[in-house]
Amino acid sequence: MTKEKKSGTRVGPKWGQVTRRTFLQGVAATSGAVAGSSLFGDLITLSPLPGESPKPLHEDWIPTTCWIGKQECGMLARRINGHVVKLEGLPAHPRNRGTLCPKGIAQIQALYDPNRVKAPLLRTNEKGVKGTWREISWDDALDLVAERIGEARDRDPSLFVWQKGRSKAKPLYDKAFVGATGALKLHHGAFCSDAGYRAMEYTIGMHGVMHPDFKHTQYLLSWGWNITGGGGNKYCWLTWAQQLVEARQRGLRVIDIDPRLRSAAHFADEWLPVRPGTDMPLALALCKVLIDQDTIDRPYLTTYTNSSHLLQEDGSFLRDDEGSPLVWDEETETPRPFGSEGISPALEGVYSWDGAQVRTVFSSFKDHISTATPEWAAEITGIPANQIRKIGRELGDNAMIGSTIEIEGHTLPYRPVAIMAYHMSQQELGFQALRAMTFIPMLLGAIGAVGGQFTDLTWKEHKNWKKLDNIEITDTPNITLKGSKYYPINSNNSSLVAHVMKDPLRYGVSGIPEVALLHHVNPLGSFPDQKANREAYAKLKFVAVIDPWLSLTADLYADVVLPASTLEKYEGPMKGTDQYEDAVALRIPPMEPIFDTRSEIEIYLDLCERLGVLNGEKGYLALVNKNLKLKPPYTLPLDKKPTPREIYDIWAKGQGIKEGVAFFEDNGVLLKGAVPASKRYPMAMDTPFGGVVPHRLYGESLLGYARKMEERGAPEIYWRDYTPFPVWRTPTLEGSPAKYDLYLTSFHKIEFKQSRTPIPFVRELAPTQVLEINPSAARARGLEDGDRVQVESHNAVTGETRKIETTVRFRESIRPDVVAMPHHYGEHTKHPWVDGTGPTPNTLFFTGEGYVSNTADQTYLVKVRVSKAPRR
Amino acid sequence: MARYGMVIDLSRCHGCRACMVACKVENNTPKGSFWNYVFRFEEGVFPETRVSFLPRPCMHCDNAPCVKVCPVGSRHKTLEGLTLTDWDRCIGCRYCEVACPYGVNCFNWKDPKKNRYLDWSDPSLEGVELSHGMPYANPDLDLPQGSQGRHTAGGGRMKGVVEKCTFCVHRLEKGLLPACAANCPVGALVFGDLDDPESPPSQLLREKPHFRLLEGEGTEPRVYYVGGAPPTTASRQIEAVKARVER
Repeated sequence: MTKEKKSGTRVGPKWGQVTRRTFLQGVAATSGAVAGSSLFGDLITLSPLPGESPKPLHEDWIPTTCWIGKQECGMLARRINGHVVKLEGLPAHPRNRGTLCPKGIAQIQALYDPNRVKAPLLRTNEKGVKGTWREISWDDALDLVAERIGEARDRDPSLFVWQKGRSKAKPLYDKAFVGATGALKLHHGAFCSDAGYRAMEYTIGMHGVMHPDFKHTQYLLSWGWNITGGGGNKYCWLTWAQQLVEARQRGLRVIDIDPRLRSAAHFADEWLPVRPGTDMPLALALCKVLIDQDTIDRPYLTTYTNSSHLLQEDGSFLRDDEGSPLVWDEETETPRPFGSEGISPALEGVYSWDGAQVRTVFSSFKDHISTATPEWAAEITGIPANQIRKIGRELGDNAMIGSTIEIEGHTLPYRPVAIMAYHMSQQELGFQALRAMTFIPMLLGAIGAVGGQFTDLTWKEHKNWKKLDNIEITDTPNITLKGSKYYPINSNNSSLVAHVMKDPLRYGVSGIPEVALLHHVNPLGSFPDQKANREAYAKLKFVAVIDPWLSLTADLYADVVLPASTLEKYEGPMKGTDQYEDAVALRIPPMEPIFDTRSEIEIYLDLCERLGVLNGEKGYLALVNKNLKLKPPYTLPLDKKPTPREIYDIWAKGQGIKEGVAFFEDNGVLLKGAVPASKRYPMAMDTPFGGVVPHRLYGESLLGYARKMEERGAPEIYWRDYTPFPVWRTPTLEGSPAKYDLYLTSFHKIEFKQSRTPIPFVRELAPTQVLEINPSAARARGLEDGDRVQVESHNAVTGETRKIETTVRFRESIRPDVVAMPHHYGEHTKHPWVDGTGPTPNTLFFTGEGYVSNTADQTYLVKVRVSKAPRR
Repeated sequence: MARYGMVIDLSRCHGCRACMVACKVENNTPKGSFWNYVFRFEEGVFPETRVSFLPRPCMHCDNAPCVKVCPVGSRHKTLEGLTLTDWDRCIGCRYCEVACPYGVNCFNWKDPKKNRYLDWSDPSLEGVELSHGMPYANPDLDLPQGSQGRHTAGGGRMKGVVEKCTFCVHRLEKGLLPACAANCPVGALVFGDLDDPESPPSQLLREKPHFRLLEGEGTEPRVYYVGGAPPTTASRQIEAVKARVER
């Protein structure tokens, strides 16, 4: 594995830094300074320290991929005598360009951390309390896990559930292992943005939430985007940070819509401190301003959205005999199928046809938001009406509707306005709020335009575009409630799973899983409603956890813990694109594991072997072949258990890389060149938007689901938000008594975001939990900065209250009616830098009915009261 | 001869503190010791609030008060403009710490080898060679630096000596940028030869208005700031990291 030294200076001229060459020139001019290699080559001998004997030191550099975050930055591991002494950014990697975030650098401590799970553990006490453990061999651990999985599968495969937190090799985990074992798969459902994903998939057919085209965007609504502390869509942080800074240097304006200014810091030109959970009315009011001032892109709306579709009085589309939706052709003054050649669809209008009145979707939308004035929204959101009008005017001005730009020979619409939104969608009305927010770039014609609104890194239809429009509602759902009459649009990231596990019959669920394999997931620590999750996981008969550290979930409910490697393994393949330049990378072990840990791939190969599902046409290996898209002659033989390195060697050769995995061991990343306009900009594709049209301003199927849900007896609380246009209503939490007078929300810190790990270097930067509070709100409660306080949350549906204690920190950069707590405290145990750092805000949030709606995801918002902690 | 300095572009800084961690890993600083510190500031009253960031390495002053007060010649200026500490000479009197108006000096109250974040002597790490009490020691820090061959890179530090930012003198000698500047994800820390008008920091100083911290003290810092304003008495530090408090 020994490699030549890979790199000197990390930062290319792009970021305004010294290049290695120019810097060396500077050094060469220095008398007395010794340039590079003569002082420190591959083999050097250092003067011994007192008491040490001289020894040769061998230095080498191993390229690899960061393990911490979700965006998989390229890294170079500097090794001395085979041990990693530093991790640096890989200069060639498009995502990070030679740099790392604080966690990326800090994770060197994880490689050696003696507080990791160092060998398989078997619980020796009862579950539900802190575990006591006995180390066992891998053979014994895998035998036991396989036996329990096998026993459950033999009775019914759905009795076995596989749940993931961060999956970093989906073809081998989510697809092959789940496929081979027939497990019921649960996603992490934690600090993600499921409501946002579903809203985008349903509305414009793309996977992701909302991000700009940073090379071209001029005006950005940073809507709940934690610019300085979190990731935004697709990346965990660093790529967006770099692109934002470059865009700012050329004059991007940033409007920050967030209860906390700290999230955007000095990058915000204007701060709209919105009341939490009221994003939908703000979006609807902005839509009304855009329509009233006539800054809308009529050709886009009539051609590529369902705005021109004709609605009947029952809310369904007027259709022809083939079922095609009809639009009003102004030439012939008759309804004609949408998309017909040579017609002139009317965007607005009410028409009589066949003895009934029909109106366009757009006219209906105008009526729908006729009362959504800036004054109305100001009352709800706390943002002054004139400021809403001003933002609407600036959106309209900056969108430059009608303008075009030449990119790679394509003449494309140029609309340099966009929204960045991600985690903020995890609120009660998240799905519909994100729909309403998407209508803003839709009205401006900015969807997929140059400088406009993007959701994925290339323009590619997501399977949910059609699926979410054609859900067959079932009376017998599984524990995810996917397709149920309660939460039909629901990925399997459901926060309701815990509630279903507690009382399955209430939801028509016939059985719950008995055996669970938790893959880097820590529901008790990282999901809201910790109490509900505790009760649910207590019902599982056998729980095996794959994790490098002892998570709170493992400590309380695991029967067996399988210690996973962190960076020290082969894993991938990982996309390396920064949305403009394409790349693919692998994780390469920079050194042998110190402890008796294994990679997930090794664990799954061994488990599948024991379960008898490794070989054969439907076995794990066949599914790896299928999901890694391996084609002969580069396929895995089905009769031989490969090593992870062999798998990636075959995969790499199948990619046309003749050196195989050695290419990545040498280089870390394969650069694939610029992403062409035809993949990135939907109007540069052979078929505009890749045929994913019309974008759904009107959600006809949502209305259909509401009716079916009601018909099947679901109470109104479940179907009331399945409306074709987003409808504002007072959120459930407002039903809490007046004494719960503050909104509690949560946020990520750059020190921990995505990390899931107890790393001392970053723990030192922010060691304990705090409650951010505005000084005026604090003093009104007799509190001073640094006081210990009690925070009590209230469930407006059940009346339940929950309490924690923490320390207040004064911030003028937060609304006086809002308090906020960061995540990633109190998630792991048995670690000197983590024990006692809690509590997590997830102890205070609720996830049951009322606190989540359409998509059954998560809510990080609750009403609380804050008072001085009682003296002990 | 190159005379080094740094220009910090505050309009780029996200306050992520990656430079602080990059420094710690590169220079193997002990727990509680930060050679580079990133302030996070808040000013004003809601909703007229402003938030800003300010990285603060050693200023490597040309008229360095710490050098003047050092009774043993440990703290010294190099011809390249660096302000360095010779660990072999430091007697731990802490005069430099008192004299420095920027608070960049860190005193080793504990034996650095025993102040390494985790107990690296754990039996499960048997077979992992420890150097200076940790498994990821940077051997470059033990090398003598410069024409005088002095121990200025941090490797020989012990309990009772003062340490601070060296601009990664050991990396400069290899033709590399200081670890903080090399890693900064957003290119906010721009390092180079201030005597070379074509160097990136010199160009930045020509293009943008700039300031230095506590200019009135007459310390002549070699660290300049562009893209922002100096903190004032109205600047409140938020999210402070507790450094140098453990004894």
